[in-house]
Amino acid sequence: MTCEEARIQMLGEAEGKDFAAHLSSCEACRNEVARIGTLWQSLDLLPVEEPSGKVRERFYEMLAAYRQGLASAESRKAYRWGQLAAAAAMLAVGLGVGYVARGSGQPPAEVSQLREEVASMRQLVALSLMQQQSASERLRGVSWAYQAEPSDREVLGALVTAVNQDTNVNVRLAAVDALRRFAASPEIRRAVVDALPAQTTPLVQVALIDLLVDFKDRNAAEALTKLAANRDVNDGVRQQAQWALEKLQ
Amino acid sequence: MAEVSGGQVARLAVLFERYHRALFRYFVSMGGHREQAEDLVQEVFFRMLRYRTSYDPAQSFTAWMYQIARNAGVDQSRKRRAVVVDIDSFTGLVSGSPGPEESASRGQDLALLRRAMDQLPGDKREILVLSRFQGMKHEDIAEVLGCEVGTVKVRVYRAIRALEQIYFALEKEKVS
Repeated sequence: MTCEEARIQMLGEAEGKDFAAHLSSCEACRNEVARIGTLWQSLDLLPVEEPSGKVRERFYEMLAAYRQGLASAESRKAYRWGQLAAAAAMLAVGLGVGYVARGSGQPPAEVSQLREEVASMRQLVALSLMQQQSASERLRGVSWAYQAEPSDREVLGALVTAVNQDTNVNVRLAAVDALRRFAASPEIRRAVVDALPAQTTPLVQVALIDLLVDFKDRNAAEALTKLAANRDVNDGVRQQAQWALEKLQ
Repeated sequence: MAEVSGGQVARLAVLFERYHRALFRYFVSMGGHREQAEDLVQEVFFRMLRYRTSYDPAQSFTAWMYQIARNAGVDQSRKRRAVVVDIDSFTGLVSGSPGPEESASRGQDLALLRRAMDQLPGDKREILVLSRFQGMKHEDIAEVLGCEVGTVKVRVYRAIRALEQIYFALEKEKVS
């Protein structure tokens, strides 16, 4: 065994007789093993970091939401499969063909289709959490929705619904923030403009106004003008609306 | 994992309880903040669910898990630059009851060692983390990194040598 081979072996799991024989005859390698071995061992003394309890909480929340989403995807699939089977039966009768569709087991195409649905897990988790009773769970749902694709209309729709209808102001604010990523979508820009007159909480109104300025959406001018002129609205909000109008000009 | 892959997704909880601490330590050791590391742990378990049908029971589970972890880490570092762990955030020793002077000295040595780890290039740090902190077999590391077992042995040796050089350089710096 050469010195190079011995040194590469020294940190291995099985050192073997050749290694021991080499060490007994090579002082340089003995020194190397002693030095490197000490450093190797001391790595064990580095403090062990422990995760906070939030990791566990978030994991079980995600798992529960996923299972719930999966169950609803399966029931939707079963419903569609039932419709398909009924249509196939009617076709068979109509044509007078003497066979019926197989009644048991799913064909491979069906399984792969189900998998495709499951592939949109982020969507399932986000949607499931946003429907929960607890505001903190709905907040988590919104944070999952941050990862939605612009094409994910269902999640974007749920965010808009949260902005318009959620009873908790923090959830509404988080949903407004989550929509910021979707400036390119004309539907989202429109939805934000439409949401403005319906809001009565100053914090959310200001957040929506800021979002419209970020969107650089001149179509918002009419809604902002009305808001700025409305004496029933909080002064700060009216000033923000006026500021936004100037920014958008 | 084979059960999870087969549709019993609730069984993922068993894997979570067994591995989430090791994954967290992996991400922290790779230079992430605690919060980032926790997000990444969550992401790894999410991806396990997402890609569960790609799991091959003939494959080592830990190798598969760390492949996912590496990809999650790479994806995140693309999104935001990883921040080096604050060396002042840890103190003290793991076990034993040394006197106060010895504690201070060993604490400083460990702080230096940690700094040396943080200064190691990412690939060298990773192989030390996998082989030393995560206690993975060379065969499993080879699977994670997509190389031969022999290459892993050479890389581990080179990484510890590089760590030694950085450590002594830092020590010299401290003395002067």
